[in-house]
Amino acid sequence: MTVTASLGNEVVDRLNEILDEPGAVLTSRSSRFNRARVPAPFPVHRWEEFLPDVVVLPRTTEQVSRIVKLANELKVPIVPRAGGTGLADGAVPMRGGILVDVKRMDQVKEIDLVNNTVTVGPGINMQTLNRHLRPHGVIYPDDPASYACALVGGRIGTSGLSLLGARYGHTRDLVISFEMVLPTGEVIEVGDGGGRKVRKSSTGYQLKHLFMGHQGTLGIVTEATLELVPRAETEFAAFFLFEDYDTAYRTFSKLAKSGLATLAGVMLFDPEKVDYLRRDDEAYIVQPAWVKAVCAVSLLGTRVEVEPARDVVMKLGRSLGGRYIGDEIASGDWAARHDRYANPLHGRDKNGKVIPMSWHCEDAAIPYSEVPEVLRKWHAIARRYCEQYEIFDDWGAFAYTNAAHKPWGDILLEIDMGLWEDRMDEYSWQAFVSLKKEIAQVAIDHGGSMSSCHGATRAGDAELVPTEMGASWEVMKAIKRALDPHNIMNPGKQSLDEAYSDGHRS
Amino acid sequence: MSDKQVTQAAARSEATTTTDPEPTPSTSGDDTTPGRAPDDHGPRGSNGDDRAVDLAMPHLGQIEQAFVERWHENATGCFSSGHKFCREVCPVTQVTRNENHTPTAFHANVIGLEKGHLSVEDVADDYVHCTQCGGCEVRCPNTLMVGDFYRARTETVKVVRAMRAMLVDKGLDREKWKVWNRLTDELKNEPVLGVEGEQPNGQAQVRDWAAGLDIPIGGDTIMFVDCEAAYYRTSVPRATAQILRKAGVEFGLMNEQWCCGGPAAEMGYVEQSMRFARHNVDDWRRSGVKRIIAIEPHDYVHFTEDYPAYFGDEFDFEVVQIIDLVAELIRDGRLELVKPIERVATYHDPCRLNKRKGIHEAPREILRAIPGLEFRDVDRVTQWSYCSGGGGGLPIEKPEITAEISRRRLEKASELDVDLLVSACVWSERPLTAAGDEAGIEVRDIIELVAESAGIEVGGRTRA
Repeated sequence: MTVTASLGNEVVDRLNEILDEPGAVLTSRSSRFNRARVPAPFPVHRWEEFLPDVVVLPRTTEQVSRIVKLANELKVPIVPRAGGTGLADGAVPMRGGILVDVKRMDQVKEIDLVNNTVTVGPGINMQTLNRHLRPHGVIYPDDPASYACALVGGRIGTSGLSLLGARYGHTRDLVISFEMVLPTGEVIEVGDGGGRKVRKSSTGYQLKHLFMGHQGTLGIVTEATLELVPRAETEFAAFFLFEDYDTAYRTFSKLAKSGLATLAGVMLFDPEKVDYLRRDDEAYIVQPAWVKAVCAVSLLGTRVEVEPARDVVMKLGRSLGGRYIGDEIASGDWAARHDRYANPLHGRDKNGKVIPMSWHCEDAAIPYSEVPEVLRKWHAIARRYCEQYEIFDDWGAFAYTNAAHKPWGDILLEIDMGLWEDRMDEYSWQAFVSLKKEIAQVAIDHGGSMSSCHGATRAGDAELVPTEMGASWEVMKAIKRALDPHNIMNPGKQSLDEAYSDGHRS
Repeated sequence: MSDKQVTQAAARSEATTTTDPEPTPSTSGDDTTPGRAPDDHGPRGSNGDDRAVDLAMPHLGQIEQAFVERWHENATGCFSSGHKFCREVCPVTQVTRNENHTPTAFHANVIGLEKGHLSVEDVADDYVHCTQCGGCEVRCPNTLMVGDFYRARTETVKVVRAMRAMLVDKGLDREKWKVWNRLTDELKNEPVLGVEGEQPNGQAQVRDWAAGLDIPIGGDTIMFVDCEAAYYRTSVPRATAQILRKAGVEFGLMNEQWCCGGPAAEMGYVEQSMRFARHNVDDWRRSGVKRIIAIEPHDYVHFTEDYPAYFGDEFDFEVVQIIDLVAELIRDGRLELVKPIERVATYHDPCRLNKRKGIHEAPREILRAIPGLEFRDVDRVTQWSYCSGGGGGLPIEKPEITAEISRRRLEKASELDVDLLVSACVWSERPLTAAGDEAGIEVRDIIELVAESAGIEVGGRTRA
């Protein structure tokens, strides 16, 4: 379905009628170009291909519902966009159409300190929300690296990961329920069972998990009821230095399996990451040459819990020979975890020459046992691409505990790559896509998932969604077809067009 | 060397590298760029049609070419990371929630221009939506992490100003800015009392605020009085003058004080700004002035960044910010604050002091020295996302956004249960006062409070 050329004035007029506010329906080139991309590497040479035809800035659920119904009637693609800070193009329109930018739906609607919930619009940012909550001694602890810029709607859309997930859970655990405008315009509430503030129910199907991570393909979130937890009384972070990766890797497991309830997360830097920080990150406090790997851990909670747990962490961190980095760097580096989101914006070509670069990040979920082998394969792939193309640089890998409250099993394994975006042309863009596909395939081959938190929504990953989903891919297609009969919701993502081929097109 | 000195030195060195304060080249001259057509309409015809762009064509006019070359690297740093930490601190975006108004868009548009996707006309309206508060620059992770090492920061304010200069050059400037700057040019001061009808503006009234104070003209040190202070909130210059006198600081006024030229520069009228700066510098020179006391933060930025960029080494004046000076006078015991002010107050960090110049400690020191005052502080970093909306020409072109920014600022103050909001920027005080009337919170200038506490009968007025 391509409507880019045909979306005419009638649509704009009808949208204006629905929105009924000056400046809420945008058609200018600047409005469209500025909503075509997200921070992930972008084929700048094909910018025009990803433009929405029209942008709307709704304020109410009713408006969103009417917009979606209109899109359905006219069979026009519709793409929701919250912060536009995702790393997998979820909010990038593939086929033009109507872009629903929910940033104006940013109200704090209810703070319920009795049941410990807060109800918000999808356009609010977590840091902003937590400033509202501060006087009440509670916090909404969804804490991604993009804490300062991601919005609640996008967190639900991607089913994001929180850096404090081992302690407080991730987005799917912290969002109790939400309101969803379905692809046909009906408005439903999804949670556990029927109650908006109920955390556990056995009534009906668990629809919250179906829509969590919908990537805009199953509708638009218009309101969410979120968990409030008591603000932690204290936190503690420790970084341990290692002469080799294997010891750091084994220490990671000891810490993850410590059984400490205040454990917020464990992190691992591999030798390539330490190398990269050493050579190109001016903000990195350089460690001695013998340091090849780093393992870090953080605790949050009350003093009576964290203070004794700290001694356990120090003992475990040193048990295999890790050396503590010192209080100042440990607490400073942990506190800078969000600003660390910024990379140095430069890397090296294969001759070591400094070049300006953008950041690309893979985010597979991998069983702990498979991590060393996956990393070996990933770096081999990265090396091959660095050799062959002038635009890539291997920036090393991070590992984070992946599961909420159960940090001992699977790992979010993240390999960072530098890309010379300024030099991007179709040839190198295709190389990037194929690099992504190879990396994703390794994750699948080792019993993992190609995306822990960004989504498998961009070229290179999208083609492999049917492979990773296996036989359940048929169920996924059936759900998509049932809920979105005309394939208008964010079409072209995750290979979901397949739901409408093979005689299934309605 | 203090941070401020470093900033000043950096501003001076900028004079040799920046293209921002230079008068933009005329579009009517010969095109001297080989292989480029002298097309000043950008990628598309001026009729705004949407025909596809042929990227193989040299699509940039001479002015746009110079602009994208100057800002390419800065814009790429943002475009290629695109994290948008700036969005939630941006006072305008907090209100409009329109991605076009984010600092990120201001940089992405540069890339869009460069690649031939967007024309200056396409993006003109975006760049109106900025108070030039600098919050985006200090919050940018590129500034925070990488910039720490290089003492560099993502530059967004300069990009906005350069774009506005281009709009003026191409005749795409906004109507209300055009009128404001034309009147400023005629009056030699800003038409702060209104742009319609017979307002008592103009050079004949420029020193009316000082009635009865017998301040000399000229001298080693002069006090530069901002237009808003000279014509509108006259209590501020009156309080300042009387405090300085009481503390034994000798100072005079200018022979013929014109507008500092800062607002014109902020709105893109670079040539006018430079002409006004030239006049003022010549006036100072004629009177043997060595030192300028800037009583207003916008002026302070202009004197420490734009003037040195305009005049290079010729600009050898010492510029003092009044807040620093008053804090020093109190610290040294030269100014005694004796009269208690029994109020519960919070402080509004003016953007140009806090975010642009890093002046945030001195005002807090002053407030803590006022007897009787209960001071409920909000830290300077939290205040990166606060603003009055009074800067960057926004209240002239988009008064409704300014009013909403101020309303939200007062809402924050209300949460602290205060009855007084203290600012240190006269330009912020008009929109904040209007919002304060609604919120039931009085808005005062810090210098007015100091004067009151020093037992001075200030006189003048705080509103029209």
